[in-house]
Amino acid sequence: MHGPGRRLGLCNCVHETMTDYAKRATAGFRPCIGGAATALALLLALPHGATSFPIDGDQGVLPAGSELNEDAVYVPHELLHSEYRGDRTSYVVALGNVAFNSPSILGDVARRAGISCGTCHIGGAANAKLFVPGLSTRPGTFDTSGPLFNPKGDNHVFDPVRIPSLRGVRYLAPYGHDGRIASLREFVRNVIVGEFAGPEPSPALLDAVTAYVQEIDFLPNPRLGARGRLNERASESERRGEALFAKPFPHDPDLSCAGCHQPSGAFVDHRQHDVGSGGLYKTPTLLNADFNAPYFHDGRYDSFEQVVDHFDRTYELGLSPQDRADLVAYLRAIGDARQPYDADSVVTRFKDIENFSLLLAQAIEAHDRDAIDLAVDTLGNELRDIIERFPDHRDTAVTDGLAERRMARAAVKDVVISLRRIALAASAADFAAAAAEYKTYYGLTFDKAQPLLRGTERWSLFNAPLREAHDAERRKMMRVPAQPQKSAGAPQ
Amino acid sequence: MKAIFLGIIAVLALAPNAGASPLTATAESYRHHLGDDIGQALAGARMLRERLAANDLDGARRAWIAARAGWERSEVFTSGFVPELDEQIDAWPNASHGFHGIEASLFGASGTDAGAETEALVAHLADLHAQIARIELAPQRLLNGIARLAFEVGGNKADGGESRLSGTSLDDMRSNADGIALAWRVIFADAVEAGDPKLAAAVRAAVARLQDDVKVARLRDVDGEKLRADTEELVALLEMAAPKIGLSKPALEEGAR
Repeated sequence: MHGPGRRLGLCNCVHETMTDYAKRATAGFRPCIGGAATALALLLALPHGATSFPIDGDQGVLPAGSELNEDAVYVPHELLHSEYRGDRTSYVVALGNVAFNSPSILGDVARRAGISCGTCHIGGAANAKLFVPGLSTRPGTFDTSGPLFNPKGDNHVFDPVRIPSLRGVRYLAPYGHDGRIASLREFVRNVIVGEFAGPEPSPALLDAVTAYVQEIDFLPNPRLGARGRLNERASESERRGEALFAKPFPHDPDLSCAGCHQPSGAFVDHRQHDVGSGGLYKTPTLLNADFNAPYFHDGRYDSFEQVVDHFDRTYELGLSPQDRADLVAYLRAIGDARQPYDADSVVTRFKDIENFSLLLAQAIEAHDRDAIDLAVDTLGNELRDIIERFPDHRDTAVTDGLAERRMARAAVKDVVISLRRIALAASAADFAAAAAEYKTYYGLTFDKAQPLLRGTERWSLFNAPLREAHDAERRKMMRVPAQPQKSAGAPQ
Repeated sequence: MKAIFLGIIAVLALAPNAGASPLTATAESYRHHLGDDIGQALAGARMLRERLAANDLDGARRAWIAARAGWERSEVFTSGFVPELDEQIDAWPNASHGFHGIEASLFGASGTDAGAETEALVAHLADLHAQIARIELAPQRLLNGIARLAFEVGGNKADGGESRLSGTSLDDMRSNADGIALAWRVIFADAVEAGDPKLAAAVRAAVARLQDDVKVARLRDVDGEKLRADTEELVALLEMAAPKIGLSKPALEEGAR
């Protein structure tokens, strides 16, 4: 799933900006290698200008200034293990995926804010832009023991941690930044119940979410060979960095970078260490780490350069400028990935919709009301979000293709109502009616709505220049006063 | 007498090819409510103009909010019947004209003079007010408008909604819900009641749920998922009701069918 799909046209969130994307592209890739070519091609195709819409005002569930990054133009690529193998996703994994992206499994505050697991872990990757005032020190960090989502779990300490990527998480036990929980299933439960005050999940639901999270793979890295070693594509600098990485520390020969970040073991050792960052924290993986900034448990560092400097200082490594550059080059090489991002588009959205629709069909057949509700909930949110990408006549920034946009909007709205009929039939235990309605839903979705959306996409907010024009209006409109105006606004 | 009259309406409504629909009469009785709402919007806009001229910012803000209430109640009608004026009056996102352009000036940081935009808003609302007296209120299009607005209200506003700068997004939603309730009650409720009381009760309950969903103290207290489910159920019920009163399934986008 590429986003929780809740914000519709009224969202406030940040986009993956051109500047950010350029940084990622140039920091994480080299032209002509794997993801680099793709990233640069995407970069050239994009309009200029950064877009940022922090949530303002005091009316919403989240504090003013919150950023959820749900309008990103490019979304992290998600690779499920079953997909990597070329297999179909299992029912359990698909159910977990739906639940992962449904606010309904979390507590009341998260639900009203439209926040799901997928808000922080977009497509399994870390949401490096997420920022909630009072819960974040900087983008990409979050205080999971803060007061907002679960007051009973508030530890009264402002201690945000970096939002972790879940890629390859099945290889990365123990869980939590300090490795306090051995079991991924228990960790998932703790997030749902402990951090976000959700209802106790059923064993089946917990199994499903855990199974889905376990399916999230590392993205392939075309620069890594067997045993986590650089392959023949490596540069001289990267090779020097690899050697330095394995070299014992001068003042403590029992230690080396590779001693903890073991290349043949997903660059982890499953242990906690005090590396001078304020306590014992588990060794993070370096695979796909180009896309995992900020770094360290509290997200204190933005770049590999800063990380290398930290270790140089802490362990008195005596690195030369060339050594530092080589280590950074090595980290970038092993942290790379093929196709790290997908352009947000009808095609990418329908990949999720297809999977979730299949789950819905299976849930109806199994008379599984909980799964039906989750699928309807998540599909409905996703479809409503798509509708808002195809603006109606009120959006003066998008002028062409109005008739076509209306047709597409109408078709998707019909799909949403068809989904609701399925839910209503299921809630009345009339699964035959639900199955019959599913056939209608399927036809409306894939025979009618999808072609209309594809044919109209050039006039939608999936089209970057139109998106930029739309966002420019939003930027102009959303300017807020330095001092809140209380005199006339209705109390909310 | 009233019951007999309603019975006749129902019979006529259910009769195929019945010629001029009795719903036309109830739609006609909706016209003055619509006129009242647009009239309130127009009066508010005129007051806004006056307060701006008097450099009374607080008064201007209050007038903007008052104008907005009438406008939002009439959205059952506006987006489908007069989309061009709707775009001029209620463009979103737009910082240069219409309600939200003025909102940005009055409540936002720009502090720009909203005089010209307010003058245009008054003119557009006056134009609309004049049109209401003569525009044909086709029942099908009004049903479309109810269903379309119900669907729209179900969208998530947890981030602050459409009128974020003024802090009146919840008021917008309440006015939308009230507009839906009014239009349904005046135009369609009796006809459906006569033909299918059970369905009429279901629609009535769904409309009441929608109004309850937005009857909360703060926008952040709205249960977005429940609101979405309730509005979608309402639309589904309206789709069931349409053929019972001789109408087609409501189009959720004007001009899309």
